[in-house]
Amino acid sequence: MSFLDKVYKKSDSIVFRKIADEFILVPIRQNVGDLESISTLNEVAARIWELIDGEKKVREIKDKIVEEFEVTPQQAEKDLIEYLKQLKKISAIEG
Amino acid sequence: MECSHIPEINYRKFSDNIHSKVVAERIPIDGTIETSYRCNLNCVHCYCNLPARDKTAVQQELSFREICDIVDQIVKEGCLWLSFTGGEPLIRKDFIDIYSYAKKKGLIITLLTNGTLITPEIADYLQEWPPFSAEITLYGITRKTYESVTRVPGSFERCLEGINLLLERKVPLKLKTTVTSLNKHELWEIKEYVESLGIEFRFDPVLNPRLDGSQEPCRFRISPEEVVELDLADEKRLQTWREFCQKFWGPPQSDKLYVCGAGLSSFLINPYGELYMCLLSRNPGHNLRQGSFKEGWRDFIPEILEQKPEGEYKCAKCDLFSLCNQCPGWAQLETGSKNKPIDYLCQITNLRAEALRKEVKRK
Repeated sequence: MSFLDKVYKKSDSIVFRKIADEFILVPIRQNVGDLESISTLNEVAARIWELIDGEKKVREIKDKIVEEFEVTPQQAEKDLIEYLKQLKKISAIEG
Repeated sequence: MECSHIPEINYRKFSDNIHSKVVAERIPIDGTIETSYRCNLNCVHCYCNLPARDKTAVQQELSFREICDIVDQIVKEGCLWLSFTGGEPLIRKDFIDIYSYAKKKGLIITLLTNGTLITPEIADYLQEWPPFSAEITLYGITRKTYESVTRVPGSFERCLEGINLLLERKVPLKLKTTVTSLNKHELWEIKEYVESLGIEFRFDPVLNPRLDGSQEPCRFRISPEEVVELDLADEKRLQTWREFCQKFWGPPQSDKLYVCGAGLSSFLINPYGELYMCLLSRNPGHNLRQGSFKEGWRDFIPEILEQKPEGEYKCAKCDLFSLCNQCPGWAQLETGSKNKPIDYLCQITNLRAEALRKEVKRK
């Protein structure tokens, strides 16, 4: 299956918070994230997090990002690959 | 488009960054909920403990549902760090449900406990859903000393068991002590023991009166001279005072009564739903059974922060203000007036300043 056809869902072991214009991922379960550091998201990453819903394909998320931000489809895809890899690494998403 | 990676930043740095933002925007990022004033111990110096089976307290305490509702409200207003304390939080049979609810809302939780009610089941749960830290107070390194403070036979073993249960499961843990006239002789042994476990240790050498106005805890204070001796014996503590002194020397820079920072981004809620800006300033409160947290935070607390001293206020002219623990709430409890300096704290501060002056001269 192509990467763009994959579907991811959020893990219930991590909670997204927006406080004082900061986007934060708070790990709540053992072995998820690291208590000595905290993951913050930039605006685009926070929007991607919102769009991950267990139903949308990566392709659809990419199209939304291209539509909403000034970015080429190629760059959006490259960034999405990197971003989703990192979210997988901290067990924030499954799929 | 910015690079969409996820920067992981050092926790301390994140905390410093976000705190400066939330103070400016007055976001209640740091909260404390006292889930009960009841406790299975009966510590001589406690500022609030009620008997474990106090029926009136049980009837008045917030229900699980009410606490969940409050948690929803504080999360909505931007609370990120939440401490659960008491009394003893684990005295409530539904505490783990409360903890779990708050945890799943994305709050970063500190659990302040005496450790004696931690069972293998509770420790397992905390392993699976870890707090930012559990903090246990260790009142002595021997049964005799520990239980002279807690006044409950068997509590020393149970506390050590609680500590071990958390250590075995690698639950983030901090240990601390409150220095009283009954356990002061064991302070450094407690420190040595705690640090031998690889755990961070801190102590508090100053006791305040009970919230109900009783001055009984003050009977167990160590002398002002002893407090300053402890400052001087603990390099980390001494360094904090030196830095504080360099940054903030002189009288307070504000004409307000509250200049400590409480209520700017932090708050406390008692077991009966009263909202306060801190642990010691309890008069008056905003009742969350009758009004919302938002109203309390945005209308009620700012009114208190605007209060100015009435009549003579010696602290306003004191050069040693930054070296002092004077607090209007504490003064109210001990002297009956928010304006009136607490003699015990004045004595400590004068001695502390003298010690720091001597240190400067020596250098």
